Amino acid sequence: MRNSKSERAGYWFILPWLIGLLLFTIGPMLFSLLLAFSKWDIITGVQSIEWVGLDNFKTMFHDELFYQSLKVTFIFALVSVPLYQVASLLIALLLNMRNRGMKFFRLIYFMPSVIPAVAASMMWIMIFNPEYGILNRALAFFGVQGPAWLQDPSYALGALIVMGLWGVGNTIIIYLSGLQGVPEELYEAANLDGAGPFQRFFNITLPMISPTVFFNVIMGIIGGFQYFTQAFVMTNGGPLNSTLFYNLYLYNKAFTDFEMGYASALSWVLFIIILAFTLLVIRSSSMWVYYQGDNEKD
Amino acid sequence: MMNQATTRKPVYSKLFSMLMLLAGAAVVLIPLLWTFATSLKTPAEVFKDDFFPAVWMWSNYKNAVLAIPFFTFLKNTLIILIPVLVGTVFSSALCAYGFARFNFRGKRTLFLVLLATMMLPSQVTMIPMFIMFKEIGWVDTFLPLIIPAFFGGGAFNIFLIRQFMRGIPRDLDESAFVDGANKMQIFTKIMLPLSMPPLIAVSIFTFMGVWNDFQGPLIYLNSSEKYTLALGLSMFKGLYNVEWNMLMAATMLIMLPPLLVFFVAQKYFIEGISISSAIKG
Repeated sequence: MRNSKSERAGYWFILPWLIGLLLFTIGPMLFSLLLAFSKWDIITGVQSIEWVGLDNFKTMFHDELFYQSLKVTFIFALVSVPLYQVASLLIALLLNMRNRGMKFFRLIYFMPSVIPAVAASMMWIMIFNPEYGILNRALAFFGVQGPAWLQDPSYALGALIVMGLWGVGNTIIIYLSGLQGVPEELYEAANLDGAGPFQRFFNITLPMISPTVFFNVIMGIIGGFQYFTQAFVMTNGGPLNSTLFYNLYLYNKAFTDFEMGYASALSWVLFIIILAFTLLVIRSSSMWVYYQGDNEKD
Repeated sequence: MMNQATTRKPVYSKLFSMLMLLAGAAVVLIPLLWTFATSLKTPAEVFKDDFFPAVWMWSNYKNAVLAIPFFTFLKNTLIILIPVLVGTVFSSALCAYGFARFNFRGKRTLFLVLLATMMLPSQVTMIPMFIMFKEIGWVDTFLPLIIPAFFGGGAFNIFLIRQFMRGIPRDLDESAFVDGANKMQIFTKIMLPLSMPPLIAVSIFTFMGVWNDFQGPLIYLNSSEKYTLALGLSMFKGLYNVEWNMLMAATMLIMLPPLLVFFVAQKYFIEGISISSAIKG
């Protein structure tokens, strides 16, 4: 049967993807690699492309904005990943209890995840407005003078982190499906042994859903490095580059300054950072991720 | 508080968790409600303290629609959306069938490559793709946003449909084969109709992806009469002396379709997202 004529028909069916892989993935990757070692502004056309070796990567070492964008992105990832995970897990735990109205709550919590990033950004620009935004009005109600949020370099990044907390519905759903996979017998056995709620959480729930935590942490880090729309629409990297996310800086280099070579080099550094973090989390996962023995692997 | 499914817990713990959930739900809903309320206010009311307007100014919506050119942007969005939907669903189903039902040489390797491409950040291919499309004169047309959808329709979508197709009993293919159906007929007459759940999920995700896409249109569309809704809305903020009530009316209009789709088809969302996390499991 294997590799018989009829089996080879499979190639025809996956042909669209194979062509796409060459045209839109492998081809561009090779071209991008070439660009990363070249100097080229797109306006003068392909013939003016110039090989410069490692110059683009050397430039990065002296590029303050590059460091700034790394700093912004790392701060965002370091704060938002743990914060969003804890918040999502907490809500998922509450949603996983067999109370009435859980479907309704699940619906509400997930809603922000389907709202277009641009629309959410517009909403939050207004919420963060220092004079008439609802946030500072609520703070004023308690006698607190709120900051200028998006216009204040020391608050802008924090404001974006707070805004992201509003949209963690995706993560909640992933945790919820993880929680529902924990076998009921484990809790019953723990109850018989007299375990309290915290013991049950740390000794059963957390180990059992550790693969889900693992997945969400990776996605969170990748998300930080791909963060774009909100930063572009709400602050455009400002004030004083305090929200200059890596991806935004890359975009500016490519499509505002047209430094295609340097921007390609930046994109490979982004790729390597994401890869390194992913491998780091995968490597370390054997220490803290518990896979059920009978987990069906595909 | 932190446990599940125990009847041993006293009533007040249940009450406490309910209150927490309610508080969280309020945090989620108040910004939305306030946006809606603001979209119905007069410009003067925007600066006042009241949460709701005295009179609901539905005319804000009419004015916003005319000011942004909403219908032009809507038309552009649909010109991209409809072919992308068709291309994504058909080509991802076709490739999923190839991976699910045939034993050709190198299949395992190719499938691993498929999974690996999901990890590749789009930034790496973004610049060369732009240059490529620029060289063939497609910049400031809808084509760069449409054509790639016809070549595989995205690794995640292929994966999603392939997983489902593997669950369809092979007896069905075989008996159709005995009846003289060829592979393509088996695909269109048996596999496609039976794979409706993942196909619907893929359609919904594709709709959301196109509707919400910002960076793609930002890179490829230059002239404002070609803008999509997402791009148009962000430019509206920059172009006019921001009138918050109208800006919020436009914002409401743009978030409404995805919200409606979500309410109608929520079960597909929940399943699709759970599957996406199971890939790594």
